[in-house]
Amino acid sequence: MGRLFGTNGIRGIVNQGIDPRFCIEIGSAIGTYFKKRNSLPKIAIGTDARLSNSMLKSAVASGLLSTGCNVTDIGVVPSPVVQYTVKKKGFHAGVIITASHNPPEFNGIKVIAGDGTELPKEIEDKIETIYFNKDIVLADWQEVGIYDQYDDAIDFYKQSLISVIDIDLIKRKKFRVVLDCGGGAGCVIAPKLLSDLGCDVTCLFCKLDGTFSGRNSEPLKENLTELIKMVPQIKADFGVALDGDADRAIFVDENGRYLPGDKTLALVAKYLTKINKGGITVTPVTSSSCVNDVVTKFGGTVIQTAVGSPIVARVMMENKALFGGEENGGLIFPDFQYCRDSIMSILKIMEIIATGEKSLSELIYEIPNYDMFKTKVACPNNIKEFVLKQMQENIGEKTPIKIDKTDGLKMYFKEGWVLVRPSGTEPIFRIFAESDNTKKAENLGFDFIEKIEKIVTQNKN
Amino acid sequence: MINDISPHIFRAYDIRGLYNKDIFPMTFYHIGTSVGTYIKQDLGGKHLTVGCDIRRSSPPLVHSFIAGVTSIGIDVLFTGTTSFGQTLFTGWKNNQDLISFVTASHLPPEWNGIKFYYGDGVGLPEEELIKIRDYTLENRKTLSDWQQIGSVTQIESNDIYTQFFKDRCNFKNKLKVAIDCGGASMTLSAPEVFANVGLEVIPVFCQPDPLFSQRPSDPKPQNLNVLVNKVRQNNCDFGVAFDGDGDRSVIVDNLGMILSADQTGIVIGKHGNLKKGTVIVNVECSKAVKEQLEPLGYKIKQIPVGHTFLTLEAKKEHSPLGIESSGHLIITNYFLFDDAIVVPLKIAEILDNTKSSLSEIVKEIPIYPTKKEEIPCPDEIKFHVIDKLKNELSSEYSDINVMDGIRIDLDNGWVLIRCSNTSPVIRLTTEADSEKIVNEITTEFKKKTEEIIKQVKNN
Repeated sequence: MGRLFGTNGIRGIVNQGIDPRFCIEIGSAIGTYFKKRNSLPKIAIGTDARLSNSMLKSAVASGLLSTGCNVTDIGVVPSPVVQYTVKKKGFHAGVIITASHNPPEFNGIKVIAGDGTELPKEIEDKIETIYFNKDIVLADWQEVGIYDQYDDAIDFYKQSLISVIDIDLIKRKKFRVVLDCGGGAGCVIAPKLLSDLGCDVTCLFCKLDGTFSGRNSEPLKENLTELIKMVPQIKADFGVALDGDADRAIFVDENGRYLPGDKTLALVAKYLTKINKGGITVTPVTSSSCVNDVVTKFGGTVIQTAVGSPIVARVMMENKALFGGEENGGLIFPDFQYCRDSIMSILKIMEIIATGEKSLSELIYEIPNYDMFKTKVACPNNIKEFVLKQMQENIGEKTPIKIDKTDGLKMYFKEGWVLVRPSGTEPIFRIFAESDNTKKAENLGFDFIEKIEKIVTQNKN
Repeated sequence: MINDISPHIFRAYDIRGLYNKDIFPMTFYHIGTSVGTYIKQDLGGKHLTVGCDIRRSSPPLVHSFIAGVTSIGIDVLFTGTTSFGQTLFTGWKNNQDLISFVTASHLPPEWNGIKFYYGDGVGLPEEELIKIRDYTLENRKTLSDWQQIGSVTQIESNDIYTQFFKDRCNFKNKLKVAIDCGGASMTLSAPEVFANVGLEVIPVFCQPDPLFSQRPSDPKPQNLNVLVNKVRQNNCDFGVAFDGDGDRSVIVDNLGMILSADQTGIVIGKHGNLKKGTVIVNVECSKAVKEQLEPLGYKIKQIPVGHTFLTLEAKKEHSPLGIESSGHLIITNYFLFDDAIVVPLKIAEILDNTKSSLSEIVKEIPIYPTKKEEIPCPDEIKFHVIDKLKNELSSEYSDINVMDGIRIDLDNGWVLIRCSNTSPVIRLTTEADSEKIVNEITTEFKKKTEEIIKQVKNN
């Protein structure tokens, strides 16, 4: 299983892997699944800003309608807006046409459960089974679904959002912000919302652009050169960049320093733990130790999960967590909804800054600093599991203080930790190593490159 | 080849089939790709408008069609669920290369299909539809790469559509009109337009009802009892009934008499203040059309049966009026296409300008007796029989027209001999000055036809 759905839904190159024919069929498979559980499923559908969106949305909608699901089109909106609408407006499910931060020739399909979270793996597997076994049940002509549009999703989301944030506090601060939407779905909400909050907003790539001609849609440091340059230039309080479907936000401090996602994750975790005098923060095994440091310092606990935001969200729900998120800038605020939400992240960061007198760089300075070394090693998909097992059984001459097998193999040593895990989407092993300085992190990581390479070579054929 | 698409859904004027039996959303995806390919290759265009009627199965079909069209690189204007005329109007106003409408016209609700028009509203002739069929069956398409994929723009055209008629109607009197939309697509346009141009509306089945549970969507006389009664009870100036998509209308006069398309056409030709020119009529139309309109300075041109010929020919001849005996009428001072809404609006304009009632106007038009006969004839030989008849009769009669079957005009009547497109019969239609002559003509030509059938069978 897992032949279609990856960590974040189905992805592929448009009109190659992902063409209308496929989308009609997968739409019917999704529809068949929900129709079996509801006599009249209502499904919301939204898209990011890609050029292929309307085509694929029409195809998926056709498939859903043909199985007897009603479809409500909510237009071009950030993923968290679709998720919020699904949860709050009584939909049984949602579909988002997006390939998140992938290049513009890609697109994909993400399915949202009725509670607004991404579908758990086992349901994705069931949909795949329906698709591959051709178990699609088409509705009779009298039972075909009805198609309509809901134009107020953004307004509804905005209203709800500002009701859970200290708006006056933010307004009083009169933030100066550089906002980089990267031409993605964030354009339809973020610029207006920030001005409404009294911010002096300078926009970068804030017009919908399905080709991502302004910048690559993944908010990596190398893609945010303009933002990094502009923030100190215009003496902004901070800068923020969103990914293609606006579920992740990456910040730049007032000096133009790019802040890795786990720094903001730790900052928010610290703030929330402190004011709540404890609480659970959930984050994947890949996140920096700085999260654990700040949370435990203020009486909270951290639960580590396997990689993938849907998993983080589910674990948060199960443990009534206070907060959660990933090191890539995806933060989850359970008071609002159990999914990554970049817009909420911006407001929360503003609230944190506005609460005190410190600048963003000063706040980040208080977070313990670790250096992370990331690399990858080629490994054919079919032997990944075997290689991982070999690694677990024979860690090597240096015995770790602690071992965590939540996802891959995470080993804690005196000088830091190393994580080796097979990628869910590519034929590679990823290696993460963290320590309090770069050299030590690299040394930790290098040891395992060689080990994995050796096992792969021995077992390739 | 795409094996799971039946070639039988491709008809002479459109594509039709039973939903989930002959046509599926996937079928419409493939048709969409062919239409996109046709627009790109054959028309050198890039723009398509599409809408759908009120049928339950229309939404999945129209969406998969859109997915197919855009995958080729054609930009789509999507009008949503509308009457036929409103989608055509929107396409025409937006200078589109092609306009499509998802509908099965007057067929029962379990059917669906799609029709195609050029940007000016002229229907695609059969030879062009054959290209779309062949592209579909041969799966001849190249999906565009991601940069070239077509866009979809949803367009709301209620206001400009209504305004268009408001600008053209200026009634002095408050006329009362009963409108029977049969719960079908015209419910979405007609009541609003009529009220906006200042007519008093008596609604009949004007709530959307995609199951057509109140009356069948074919506005045949036997389906219009409720309308007729409403016209009488409410002392309406006239009544009108529309078919499923809204490209045909039937007028009922103030006494509740149902007018034929010919009668309605003649009333409009005589009193509608149209520019003079060639009126297009199909070979099934009554001889009264010619008798009534020629003396007024119109020329009459006969065309084969089928509404695509109607618009095609009307465009060529710059005609003011076109009449198809099945109920399609075009009045070109509005536009070229057969949006049935223009017919009652024109009738209202005529009544607004005269003291006479509609029944009084209709009374001036003679009605000749007609007769329709069906002669059984196997499908394999029916066309051959007609060809043979053509040869024999051409030498015998001078006023003979063979463009669609055989129509022979005699001194006191006419006869039309045509193959049925759908069943193993040859149809004989006769009209003459009296019942006696109708019977004589019918008997004579029935005999001739049966003889030829026998000859062909024996060969």
